[in-house]
Amino acid sequence: MAQFNLYQEEFHPSPIRHIWLEFKRSHFALIGFAILLLFCAIAILAPLLAPYDPNVQNTNTILLPPAWEGNGSISHIFGTDALGRDVFSRTLYGCRVTFGSSIFLVLIAATIGVALGTFAGMNKGIKSSILNHLLDSLMAVPTLLIAIIIVAILGTGLWNSMWAIILALIPQFVHQTRTFVREEMKKDYILLDKLDGAGSTRIFWSSILPSMFELLVVQSTLALSVAIIDISALGFLNLGAQSPVVELGASLSQSLEVAYSAPWLVALPGFCIFLMVLSINIVGEGLRNALRNRLIH
Amino acid sequence: MLNLLLRYINLMVLTIAILIIISFSLAYVFPGDTLTNISGIVPQSNEQRVALEAVFKLDRSIFVQFWYYIENLISGDWGVSSSSQISLLEEISIAFPATIELITYALLVSIFIGIPLGFIGGIWHHKPFDFGVVTFSVVSYSFPVFWLALIFITIFSLQLGYLPLSGRVNFLYDIPHSSGFILWDIMLADIPDKKDAFKDALRHLILPTASIALVTTAIFIRFTRRSIMDEMNKGYIDAAKSRGFTTKQIFFKHGLRNSLLPILPLMAMQISTLITNAMVVETIFSWPGIGNWIIQAIYQRDYPAIRIGMLVVSVFVVTLTITIEFISRAIDPARDKFQRGAV
Repeated sequence: MAQFNLYQEEFHPSPIRHIWLEFKRSHFALIGFAILLLFCAIAILAPLLAPYDPNVQNTNTILLPPAWEGNGSISHIFGTDALGRDVFSRTLYGCRVTFGSSIFLVLIAATIGVALGTFAGMNKGIKSSILNHLLDSLMAVPTLLIAIIIVAILGTGLWNSMWAIILALIPQFVHQTRTFVREEMKKDYILLDKLDGAGSTRIFWSSILPSMFELLVVQSTLALSVAIIDISALGFLNLGAQSPVVELGASLSQSLEVAYSAPWLVALPGFCIFLMVLSINIVGEGLRNALRNRLIH
Repeated sequence: MLNLLLRYINLMVLTIAILIIISFSLAYVFPGDTLTNISGIVPQSNEQRVALEAVFKLDRSIFVQFWYYIENLISGDWGVSSSSQISLLEEISIAFPATIELITYALLVSIFIGIPLGFIGGIWHHKPFDFGVVTFSVVSYSFPVFWLALIFITIFSLQLGYLPLSGRVNFLYDIPHSSGFILWDIMLADIPDKKDAFKDALRHLILPTASIALVTTAIFIRFTRRSIMDEMNKGYIDAAKSRGFTTKQIFFKHGLRNSLLPILPLMAMQISTLITNAMVVETIFSWPGIGNWIIQAIYQRDYPAIRIGMLVVSVFVVTLTITIEFISRAIDPARDKFQRGAV
């Protein structure tokens, strides 16, 4: 590691600025970040951007090809589906539902996971051991099975599939948090806090959580990509979002019937999911590299 | 060592017990009649209902019911499917080997492709080849598995017509069912066109296996690459270098083995992902496996089948996960108890 010379530095970037400086060295990460921002914008602004209502059926224009093909029309950029609905609007709304709900469920899973993980990491003995066993058994049940069980109990719907994925994501957050908290609790600065008389709540909020923040961000990007794939897979299997709600996986499976005459109806939603997950993975990879390298340079 | 073994057996028994409790309580939590949920039989008359309740001990306390449930599970009397009225044990013993076969080949493919690629990328990291490997792994990790399967079908089955679209083997070949693993069954079978049947079964396997294996390969590449990079940066490698060993010697004597150690627990973590992906791919390729079976069961609201299917799959995953974790702990005692692989 390079010599760290505090007093000769003219300018002291904050840790977050350090990460940004390191992150923007990679062009791919920046491109991924731009695509991710684009999807964020779509998720927020979809009602303003969409030219048509995604559920309005126009029987005059059925299965219109996209604008770049010979028979396409510029009034429907991505063409129309088997019921004459505008595919561009449906894709925008689909991104909004898939991306927005994934972010939402990752936030919930992270909050619950960190709370449980801290509890397990700070406590020893029977309480944390019971939690570990429960989590191990939960982790063993594949996401799709949890989803199927929840759908069997509560019925299909976007919210029910979201609960299933939250349940499946929590154990990862708990494991990460628990390992981290356990390691941190052995360190000297925590001992110092303890000697100063800080309780475990204060130790968590003012000492452990700030140092855990970066780990959480990286773990969340991983969880987000898993969440998007899972939520669209459930939609694809007709176990997730139901008809009036436009979801990418669900609209992909609906257009399978006309896949041979209208392949773009299958290609477009799938490509959107792929691009979303790809940009998140690139940003996640860039963040991890930035965190690893920021102390070296 | 014995202590460790006992601890892992304890862990496995406890986890399976929790899973059995969950599956038992599902009969009560699922909508509809508890009697139908636990037995799979819809009573036609009041007398039949009373008789069935007496058989399944539903008139007794919940602990008696639970004990009877465990007894039935152990003796292989798992009830019948409410949609087909066939014994669940029989249906699962046909469907589950098909899934195990599929994920085994997918796992093998990803091990034999992912780990060597990861090693090459890790040793010559930040070189053009490594750049290609990393790009491949990030891109293929981002594919939604159902879309990938559809792309494969479009290209190889519909456009080019090289590979079959669905199923395990062509109906022309009448393969007797013995073990449930199709390749093994064909080798054992006493049929004239064995070679053609084997080839046909292989052709059916290619697309589903490739769809499942791609994501797992990506994870293996990333993990192996990181592992070898971390290992080759350690102090003892520098020490060996300063003693004059060549990079080749160091890699094959020390780096390879030590960086393989953390990959084993990663494999344990991948089983659940593999099964999830296999379930989706099975429905697309009409592969007669357990995933397809459970998804059909939810479409038909066949609650006994979902209950037992969930129990069988999760017990399988738990057993495998804990066994692999035990092995990796046994060969690497320095590993921390709570340390887990991370991608």
